[in-house]
Amino acid sequence: MINGKERVCVQGITGKYGQFHTKKMKEYGTNIVCGVSKNDLIDEVYDIPVLKTMKEAVEKYNTDTSIIFIPAKNVKSAVLEAIESGIKKIIIITEHVPVHDMLIIKSKADENKVLIIGPNCPGIILPERSKIGIMPEKAFKKGDIAIISKSGTLMYEIADYLSNNSTGISIGIGLGGDMIIGTGLKEAFDYIIENKIKKVIIIGEVGGSEEIKGIRYALENNYDGKIKAFFAGRTAPKGKTMGHAGAIIEGYEGSIEYKEKVLSDLNIKVCKSIKDLIS
Amino acid sequence: MKIHEFTGKKLLREYGINIPQSQLIIDKIPEKRLIPSVAKSQVLVGGRMKAGGVLFIKKEDEYTNTINELQNKEIKGELPYGILVEELINIKKEYYISILIDREDRDIKWVFSYDGGIEIESSENIIKGTYNEVFLKAPRKIKEIMPNLYNLFIEKDLTLLEINPIVETQDDEIYALDCVMHVDDNAIYRQKWSQRFLEKTDYNFHYVELEGDIGVIGCGAGIVMATMDTVSNYGLKPANFLDIGGGADKETTLKALNLLKDKGIKNIVMNIFGGITQCDIIAQSIVEFEKKNEDMKLFIRLTGTNEEKGNEILSENNLKNYEDMDTMIKALKGYLRELEI
Repeated sequence: MINGKERVCVQGITGKYGQFHTKKMKEYGTNIVCGVSKNDLIDEVYDIPVLKTMKEAVEKYNTDTSIIFIPAKNVKSAVLEAIESGIKKIIIITEHVPVHDMLIIKSKADENKVLIIGPNCPGIILPERSKIGIMPEKAFKKGDIAIISKSGTLMYEIADYLSNNSTGISIGIGLGGDMIIGTGLKEAFDYIIENKIKKVIIIGEVGGSEEIKGIRYALENNYDGKIKAFFAGRTAPKGKTMGHAGAIIEGYEGSIEYKEKVLSDLNIKVCKSIKDLIS
Repeated sequence: MKIHEFTGKKLLREYGINIPQSQLIIDKIPEKRLIPSVAKSQVLVGGRMKAGGVLFIKKEDEYTNTINELQNKEIKGELPYGILVEELINIKKEYYISILIDREDRDIKWVFSYDGGIEIESSENIIKGTYNEVFLKAPRKIKEIMPNLYNLFIEKDLTLLEINPIVETQDDEIYALDCVMHVDDNAIYRQKWSQRFLEKTDYNFHYVELEGDIGVIGCGAGIVMATMDTVSNYGLKPANFLDIGGGADKETTLKALNLLKDKGIKNIVMNIFGGITQCDIIAQSIVEFEKKNEDMKLFIRLTGTNEEKGNEILSENNLKNYEDMDTMIKALKGYLRELEI
């Protein structure tokens, strides 16, 4: 995952969101070394050099990580370019990336051992150190709890509550809620175990069963910390898509009641309200 | 996006899969008639057969009545786009086949069964796996069309392609008799053929109507769902899911508020955690709306980007900004209780 020492390139740095968040990330302390853009009229954004290709970004600035602010239809080619240039971590912020494009990205990334976070995610934050993402930083006070979330804004809501009322946050990982995401709960738990983080909050949604599989995987790998889960969408009607591709109930196994039952059998607390996350 | 059977079948034929001879009847019943035939309601809901959306036409004099009946029949609340009348096929053997996206394995998976029909979920003869795994076990005739189905799935950006039943005829030909197709919503821009079926709405946010009476607005699917859940934890019923998305402008926000007003909703909770969304813009929209709609009650929680400016605008107009979601909904509950007394 991230350690705060990444040499980050912003792909799509000259766009509206690219520029805005480059400024925010830089102010937060993220080591942004360059940007890449097809716009050849701009050479610099907030004193950060703007290049034409990812190859240049790697050769000239030794970039190892990229964050993507590129329109959905160009994400596939941008990510494949980054992988070919030797980038090892890619965070895709863009929403509405086609599923079939993500399948291709995912398989190329696996072949080349590249970490992909997202798409349609808020990114990753190490509070008070570095953020490769778009989250409002004031919601993330430094502490000892890891948050792993499929939902962006709900992650902010919960991080804010924890920042004001608990020991704070050690890392916030926004996985994204799309049908195909680069990094899932299992991979996120690998990081948690490796870094000996003892408190984890999982934020999930109605639909699918990744949360159960991810938590089972952690327990099978002898994770001995405390896990709590919160799911949004108890009141979501069956068969209707609630914004995300992910948030749809597919029969009983996608329902929160089912997830709650299985997780409580595994001794994992599922909180019905955000306040219960800190009791 | 779900695709009607008749469109799906046209695509199947383009990819070399046999489909029955057919006519699509949108309104007027044509002179030329297919008899005997099967008439199928073109709705997008599942379980159409059980709900009476598929009828057989054996004789000339049944033709008009059967089609009229289907044209006016709602299937699980949905009126048909049209009626598809198809020639009857001599079936020797029914199979089931589908291709789907497996979220967890993040791959394309196939499902094949030697038993077609409506109780497929309970069949014990199901093979689920990769292309190669299914290819090894499928009958020769099915193997022959698997590459075509695969190309169709990829080239048309499908997330689900289900043919149930896919049949072998008395003449040893393979025919697709039904077809469920989903196109990736995010790829519709490059699938021009699917665009004419897009539902036309005059707003650019996600809205789903529910059964309660408390309006819910937020930015981001997760936060809206969590807000709906909290409303319901307090014993109230959300009237809707409404996600104005990231970076909503004044116009979008006003449209969202007005939509709920038009639906007859009197009380609204608005939960905004602005990342890209700017709180001052939302606050301005709220003030503008409130001035024209004093009979409506808004409970607001506004935080994140430009929060100070947003707060200022609200307080200048005597509107309260609650510190978090829970406090806001608790206040709504208290207000409703007072009204009862």
